Amino acid sequence: MNNRFLSLAAAGCLMFCAPTWAQLVVEITKGQAEAIPIAVVPFSPPDAAAQTFDVAQLVGADLARSGRFKTTDRKDMVEQPHTGPAISFDDWRRLSNDYIVVGQVLSSGQDRFAITFELYNVLTRQRLLGFQITANKPGMRLASHQVADMVFEKILGIRGAFATHIAYISVLGKLPHRDYRLIVADADGENPHVVMQSGEPLMSPAWSPDGQNLAYVSFENRLPSVYVQVLKTGERQRVSARAGVNQAPAWSPDGRKLALTLSTRDGNLDIYVMDVATQALTRITDDPGIDTEPQWSKDGRSLYFTSDRAGGPQIYRVGIESGDKPRRLTFQGSYNARPRLSPDESQLAFVTQEEGGYRIATMDLRGRGDVQVLTKGHFDVSPSFAPNGAEIIYASRDRGRGVLALVSADGRVQERLVSSEGELQEPAWAPF
Amino acid sequence: MRDFLREHSWAVVVSLLLHGLLVGSLVLAALISARRSPPVPQPLPIDAVVVDSQVLHAAQRAQDDLAAQEAARARAAEEAKAAAAAETEKAQAEQAKAAEEAKAADEARVVNEAQAADAAKIAAAEQQRLIDAQKATAAQKAAAARKAAEAALAEERRAADARKSAEAKQAAEDKRAAEAKQIADAKRAAEERARHDREAELRRQMADEEHRSAVESGPLRDSYIAKLRNKIQNAWIKPPSASVGLDCLVAVTQIPGGEVTGARVTQCNGDAAARQSIENAVYRASPLPDPPDPALFERNFVFRFKPNE
Repeated sequence: MNNRFLSLAAAGCLMFCAPTWAQLVVEITKGQAEAIPIAVVPFSPPDAAAQTFDVAQLVGADLARSGRFKTTDRKDMVEQPHTGPAISFDDWRRLSNDYIVVGQVLSSGQDRFAITFELYNVLTRQRLLGFQITANKPGMRLASHQVADMVFEKILGIRGAFATHIAYISVLGKLPHRDYRLIVADADGENPHVVMQSGEPLMSPAWSPDGQNLAYVSFENRLPSVYVQVLKTGERQRVSARAGVNQAPAWSPDGRKLALTLSTRDGNLDIYVMDVATQALTRITDDPGIDTEPQWSKDGRSLYFTSDRAGGPQIYRVGIESGDKPRRLTFQGSYNARPRLSPDESQLAFVTQEEGGYRIATMDLRGRGDVQVLTKGHFDVSPSFAPNGAEIIYASRDRGRGVLALVSADGRVQERLVSSEGELQEPAWAPF
Repeated sequence: MRDFLREHSWAVVVSLLLHGLLVGSLVLAALISARRSPPVPQPLPIDAVVVDSQVLHAAQRAQDDLAAQEAARARAAEEAKAAAAAETEKAQAEQAKAAEEAKAADEARVVNEAQAADAAKIAAAEQQRLIDAQKATAAQKAAAARKAAEAALAEERRAADARKSAEAKQAAEDKRAAEAKQIADAKRAAEERARHDREAELRRQMADEEHRSAVESGPLRDSYIAKLRNKIQNAWIKPPSASVGLDCLVAVTQIPGGEVTGARVTQCNGDAAARQSIENAVYRASPLPDPPDPALFERNFVFRFKPNE
């Protein structure tokens, strides 16, 4: 019986498996680093109130700015469907769209709107997303960023970071009458709010892991001090104002400690860890060279920092409890500083000097430590990873003016954030 | 025999019942057919007929008994009559003797003569009744005979019917056999044709295969694969998750002309975004390049996505 079954199976296999042996298998080893074509069709605004905000425009702008998408120009849209069944996939495919977003904005009561949207794969005609978000008028911008986040994640498999925030320093005016501002804005640079304003320098904004507080350095008393400010209430607390230098605060992953750069009486800079609640200090490094710009590892047990102990600035890593010897990480070039970790700690971004210019580079922390220089400017500094790790925001110069710019973590895409006024410095991307 | 009966008592009973039923239905059938046939003088009612032989015999016996009783009665009557006659003769003799001897002899003679006449009349009536009874018996016997004859006739008719139906059955069977033969012949012919076609197809396939293996092992195939690879690689927009280590198979279906009608990732260690990018790459590459030799065209094939960078 078994033998018979086996021979039957064998016979079946002869009939049906045989083509597999002869089947053509083509191996694909390369792909394109191209932007994915997507059409974000204007959302129908059936009532006038909803027309004041163009959701599709903002969603398209987010996706395009990420560099991973190229959006179809509205002029090229032969039709503008608002629901899935109205999509003529063949037409959209002829226009070389891989994906299409359609939607509607409907008034849902007093100053409230319901944004309904759907995402389709034009090539496979699959419906990938269908959601409704309600928002009031001031919330329309955030809601639109959320739509972009969902589309981004569905197609790329990475959480979108469009609905997050950035903090940065804006400097207005000329010496001696300068105006320093700490600003929090949407991730696209829109919707800026002044969090702190001073006639003396403001520096080094750092987000607490919960996104509720900002630590920063203020020279408001002519001497640098570290402050922690609650964003919601504006309430601020000076946490470190020791003699000499108090700078470069960095939050521990649990939000209970701050790593700081403090100076001893002779002006030597070293890394310390301060308990925020008790303000008790622990010294981490003790070296005659400058140790500064600390950054916590994901597990909170070691610090990455910049040190010139070997001559020029290089990046090191040290355990905070073991008291072990710092280990040098960068060896390429004479200048590597300002380390910032990607959220999954797979990459380290930093500033490197190359061909006389300062540029943003990344080091692969999981592999062989390969270094990739991502930018080509002359003064690209202060990198900060987006919470999804896909992009890095940094400070750059454009025609003599300080601006904020973005580069994708793989260096493929570079964008510039439009700024209204002032010298923009030291961007810090908020957590999710 | 007894054992046989014991063993097969049910069968015997059933057989008997069936026989009875058969005879009954035959008779019924005969009667029905008799009714249908032109009216033959049938003086007797029919309902007495549907009985079996035992009942018939019992009836016969009852009739015989009746006749015997009648005869006995007649004999007794005759004896009584004879006795009465003897008595009368004696009385007459005595009366005559007395008349001769006495004067009132005439009157007595008249009375006696009248009485004798009455007795003769009664005897004659008895005689007539006896004759009638005999006649009835004869009629009954005749009815039984007719009945038997009818049964025989019905049997004959049944036999004739059976013969006829057997003949019809035979004819039908012959026809069926002929038809079956015809179908079998057609089927055989069709099978023959199919086999022939198969062989032709097989020959053609073998020829194709020969041609194919000739081109497949040759540079034409390599050039086709290179063309396919180029087109797909240019169409594949790698998502961030698709890097070294990704290994995915996508089953592709194309129609002549190269239009992709299906692309499905069958085996993949990547995420949903990687899978989708791979299926999209195949659709984006549609229409796929024409093979340099039509023999190289494959309706189904597999792309293996295994980035080395």
